[in-house]
Amino acid sequence: MILKILNRTLRVAKSLMTPSPANKDVRYEAMHNPLRYRGEHRVDYKTCIGCDSCNKICPTHAITMKHLPLKKQNIVPEVNLSVCIFCGLCEDVCPTKPEKSIILSGGRYDMLSGGWHDDQTDFWVHTDVPQSYIDSRLEEEEATRVKKELIAKKKAAEAEAKQKEALGETPKKATTTQPDFNKGVLE
Amino acid sequence: MKNLRKIVEEFSCEYVENYKKIWIKAKLNSKNDLLTLANALKKEGLRSLSTVSPTDFLEDHIMEVNYFFEDLETKRNLWLKIDLPRKVEECKVESLTPLFPSAAWHEREAFSMFGVEFLHHPDLRDILKSEDFRGVYPFRKDFDWGAHEKNQMQNIQQIVDAFKKEQEENEIELDPDSSETMLNWGPTHPASGPIRLRVHCDGEEVISIDPDIGYVWRALEHLVTKKDFVGAIVAVERLCFMDNINSMVGYCMAVEEIADVKITPFASWMRVLLGEVARVSSHFMGLGGFFNNIGLHTLGMWNMDTREFFLDFLESYSGARIATASIEPGGVRYGLDMSMFDELQKALDKFDTTVGEVEAIFVKNPTMKLRSDNVGILSKEDVHEFGLSGIVARASGVKTDIRIDEPYAAYDELDLKYITQEGGSANDRFMMLFRDIKQSIEIIKQAKFHIEKAVAEGEMNPTKDHMVKVPKKLPKGEAISRVEWARGEVLMHLVTEEKAKSPYRLKMRAPSFNHTMMLNHLLKGRTLSDIPLIFGSLYICQGDLDR
Repeated sequence: MILKILNRTLRVAKSLMTPSPANKDVRYEAMHNPLRYRGEHRVDYKTCIGCDSCNKICPTHAITMKHLPLKKQNIVPEVNLSVCIFCGLCEDVCPTKPEKSIILSGGRYDMLSGGWHDDQTDFWVHTDVPQSYIDSRLEEEEATRVKKELIAKKKAAEAEAKQKEALGETPKKATTTQPDFNKGVLE
Repeated sequence: MKNLRKIVEEFSCEYVENYKKIWIKAKLNSKNDLLTLANALKKEGLRSLSTVSPTDFLEDHIMEVNYFFEDLETKRNLWLKIDLPRKVEECKVESLTPLFPSAAWHEREAFSMFGVEFLHHPDLRDILKSEDFRGVYPFRKDFDWGAHEKNQMQNIQQIVDAFKKEQEENEIELDPDSSETMLNWGPTHPASGPIRLRVHCDGEEVISIDPDIGYVWRALEHLVTKKDFVGAIVAVERLCFMDNINSMVGYCMAVEEIADVKITPFASWMRVLLGEVARVSSHFMGLGGFFNNIGLHTLGMWNMDTREFFLDFLESYSGARIATASIEPGGVRYGLDMSMFDELQKALDKFDTTVGEVEAIFVKNPTMKLRSDNVGILSKEDVHEFGLSGIVARASGVKTDIRIDEPYAAYDELDLKYITQEGGSANDRFMMLFRDIKQSIEIIKQAKFHIEKAVAEGEMNPTKDHMVKVPKKLPKGEAISRVEWARGEVLMHLVTEEKAKSPYRLKMRAPSFNHTMMLNHLLKGRTLSDIPLIFGSLYICQGDLDR
């Protein structure tokens, strides 16, 4: 009996000494923060190939694709966090390698804690693509367009030459200057 | 089994075939045979009707009604189909409720969602759907949800009007000189959750109870058909957040059966492990809920503390504490990092250190025993008749546990025994919950040991073995799967079309539906103070009640 009482007093005394687990301000620091934690999305517009599969699989239609003024790869995902259920399927289907273009795991957990009403009216993961990136992409596109035109011209010229060959005429321009120039561009 | 087959073959059937180990699948040619067959089945011992699940085939103009008969004792089951004409006026069939009381609400559900009329049903009213759906059948393939949602304000007005009318009628119908009243228990009662019990009482004494359910009706069965086979898991897991893993396991098993895919041993063991962790975390809430409803919140708080350790493991594994979405067709969604087992071990240690105190203070609590020992008694007969399952059935001494009856995942390799409790009172159900937790912890330990051993020996690769590829398009087919969920038996009936990208129909039979049906049976003639106690002891979750 006395032992029991002693035991219990000891236990109570011990528990007084142990620090309370509730000593963290969870607004700024999570109690448990694993690597796979599905938090706020991060979208990498540079690697995104604009395949639309994250939009297609999203079970709550939280993802909308933002259009860029480009011809190819011209959509990037934006996520409405007030609709998102953080299932992470968009990350699963993202085909880019080695890094996925849309990532939730390891994302921020404190999406709400920082802000108040003003933040919540715009509760989105915006994918802000800088104008310089768009410009450089436009330049690239222009370059590829020029390349393609050149290739097409070359092909047309070759076809013409072949036609002439078939007709029995000797090829003049097509074999001499143009192919070398085009070859360099192709490589 | 042979007897059962013989009985079915006596009737004119399109086909009778064996399905899985303990099922017979048959299709009746004529709906006129249904009642005689049901009578014969009942005599043979198949006393519970698990669920009634209509499938709407729009192009064939057929409403196919599936009946799932079960025998909880000898584990023989029958899957019976009947074709009905699809037109609402002709879509009628004889009700089985007089023979199988468990069918009562399931037939009401089929009536409200698909418009199948069950003749001679004692109480064929709408259930689940709100007043604005009266006269229309939302799960029929030609129902236009968009058009319905356009009149939102009008719909809300309709719901409000109906509620006011009900209250007015109550006042007119009840004798003003007597002490009879209609009480609304819920949906904002602290112990109720989103459910409303219309309690017709005379002073303290309960005359009858009519639950009004559907407050969290999300039409999950319809939502699933709008998603692809992988995306559907997020709808299926929302059956109830407390044990979300096992519901996904059931759905994935059905998909895998249609796709004819076999999962790896590692995935099946992970399904056992994760499923039991989810079961434990659900049972913790159940135990706490029982005491909360009596009015003591300490156990609930203590359990939340221990439960958090188990949720930490789930969070480390899947990235989310509760809506884990971690089981996918083809296996489990993530590979396992073996260091996550340290966290699981922490949770198990925490359980081992606290279980003694919980047992001494709460489980053996004399006050609780006095209060709940002779309340809400369910006999074995009730369990069979009303198709109860899970801990509610086992608390009445019925040996039923899908993990043993029809082993799935890796449960057949485990050392498992039926644990039952005689008596069937509220106290027995509480005890059953507690013992079930202990059993689950044992299973977790076994599964953990097995996985660790197999990984150490190189039989399993925890980072690569977790998934087998399942094709995006499935062939035409249908499958059923059953899992032992935290609250009881979940039966999933999945139908797919040719080259399907999404399920054509998924029926989820959830145990709380049957358990809520028992409230009237248990509370008739008792006092008002018993309502929270019995409600708490039935371990009802509104998530799977409404779906």
